[in-house]
Amino acid sequence: MSSSLVLRSSLPRTLTQRSVAHSVIQARYATSDAAQRFAYHPGGPILKGTVNDPTTFPPSSRAHGSHHWAFERLLSAALVPLTAAAFATSGSSYPILDGILGVSLVMHSHIGFDSVVVDYLHTRKFPVIGQIAKWGLRTATIATLVGVYQFNTNDIGLTELIAKVWTA
Amino acid sequence: MQSVLATARVNRLAFGSRPFSTSLARCQAVPQQKPVLLKEFKIYRWNPDEPDKKPELQSYKIDLNQTGPMVLDALIKIKNEIDPTLTFRRSCREGICGSCAMNIDGQNTLACLCRIDRDASKNAKIYPLPHMYVVKDLVPDMTLFYKQYKSIQPWLQNSNPPEKGEFLQSPEDRRKLDGMYECILCACCSTSCPSYWWNQDEYLGPATLMQAYRWIADSRDDRAAERMDRLQNEMSLYRCHTIFNCSRTCPKGLNPAAAIAKMKLEMATD
Repeated sequence: MSSSLVLRSSLPRTLTQRSVAHSVIQARYATSDAAQRFAYHPGGPILKGTVNDPTTFPPSSRAHGSHHWAFERLLSAALVPLTAAAFATSGSSYPILDGILGVSLVMHSHIGFDSVVVDYLHTRKFPVIGQIAKWGLRTATIATLVGVYQFNTNDIGLTELIAKVWTA
Repeated sequence: MQSVLATARVNRLAFGSRPFSTSLARCQAVPQQKPVLLKEFKIYRWNPDEPDKKPELQSYKIDLNQTGPMVLDALIKIKNEIDPTLTFRRSCREGICGSCAMNIDGQNTLACLCRIDRDASKNAKIYPLPHMYVVKDLVPDMTLFYKQYKSIQPWLQNSNPPEKGEFLQSPEDRRKLDGMYECILCACCSTSCPSYWWNQDEYLGPATLMQAYRWIADSRDDRAAERMDRLQNEMSLYRCHTIFNCSRTCPKGLNPAAAIAKMKLEMATD
């Protein structure tokens, strides 16, 4: 009888203790939730959102995705017969072939260099050098295209030049 | 009586005759003492409690003849017997959980599936997975990796579930998933990929991309177009330059590069 009395009297006390402990835990959860949102630590990872948020995707664009990839691969494949054709013919008698070869070679190199710039000097990481590299490459490509056009129209042309250098 | 026994003992000693039991024991095989084969393990150590101290390689020498065959056995032996502060992840010890992924002698692999080279003249170097933020010693921070995995929505999505019963799939369709569903997400492939090293924040990496294709290729899932559309950008998928480090390093013998190539082809002809 006495023990049950003791139990009964101690029951509400334990209940209140437990509820106090519960609120403490809740408070701790609340603070840890805030801490889960990643703050930047020097040398640490830069993450967006909480650990449970998925990473996000850049806006969808086929021109930067599958079309770019397919164009790049087809251009690379097309360069093989183009080079063979230019090797078999002469630039002065087939000026159009010479022109196509000049343009596609320059485009192929532009895509290759652009890959390098995006990989290593992307503007999100290098806001200044990245922009310089991006626009420097574009300027160089356009300048090369103008130069190839001038050379093909006013001079002996690309194929003839390579043939001459080859036999020189 | 006492004296008789004593003389008998003396006689036995004198004539070198042995009781039956001891002579048998002499003929029995005795456990062979294996020679001590000390091999040096150099292990990357870094403690976040001492952030000013630079990471270093700590050297441990253990007897290979008293160790199990795998690198994980050596690590556990070092932690048990030499240095309890050595920190690494491990769980299943049989290549099914993917916890113990680390860089062993320059190759990303699972410590539990990597045999110790018995050549004791060469040391073994163990680093955490390359280009990951290190939590402690051999433990990398996998948060971003898991966030990326979550971003491809790796679960079955179908707006027209069958009216009763389960989704049915032909054996041919099921076979398309072989070589992809076995992935344990140990991150060996992603962390061996140079593109993932440089552009980890935007490029998903081979492990996540193979899982993306695993759900695109699944005949029971009808969201392939949406899944592929999400990858239509410069960074998420197309930073893959077919370097093949992923397929070379996969400790489970899977081929993430092939899955990525198939996905690129499907997206181009879509």
